[in-house]
Amino acid sequence: MISIIIIVFGIIMIIAAFLAIHLKNLLSAIISAGVISLLASVIYLLLAAPDVAMTEAAIGSGLTTIIFIFTLKKIKKGDLDD
Amino acid sequence: MADLIYNIAAIIALAGIVLSFIRLIIGPTIADRAVALDGMTIISISLIVFIAYYSNRIIYLDVAIVYGLISFVGIVAIARYLERGI
Repeated sequence: MISIIIIVFGIIMIIAAFLAIHLKNLLSAIISAGVISLLASVIYLLLAAPDVAMTEAAIGSGLTTIIFIFTLKKIKKGDLDD
Repeated sequence: MADLIYNIAAIIALAGIVLSFIRLIIGPTIADRAVALDGMTIISISLIVFIAYYSNRIIYLDVAIVYGLISFVGIVAIARYLERGI
């Protein structure tokens, strides 16, 4: 069961990495990068490292996404095209 | 019997993550992708609790608490950006 979860999450992480590179909209790319660190945290937990998983969830999934969004707000000056 | 039920629940949660990721791939707007990310986060929390049961370690539940708090803040930041109010 654990190995099935690790294989599925690895496939999803690879697809999300390609998606983060090839998407034209920047906010979609930020969300895809958030998916990568979100699943990496679960894989760290499956590999029996709960402290690394906690740090990855706090910094990788939370803080990096927020900092990227603030930077996107700074560089786009408020125009939001979908 | 209980082990079989937990395995079936974990497989259903895994299928939910895969379906949410398919919505994140084909989602035409940003709001679809943000909601898909939120759904993936919540299903991942349930999967973390399943892993904590499966490997008999209480310390894994703390990871689920931190995960829920931080991912909520990230989703709120994305929603505030979509409202142009950040």
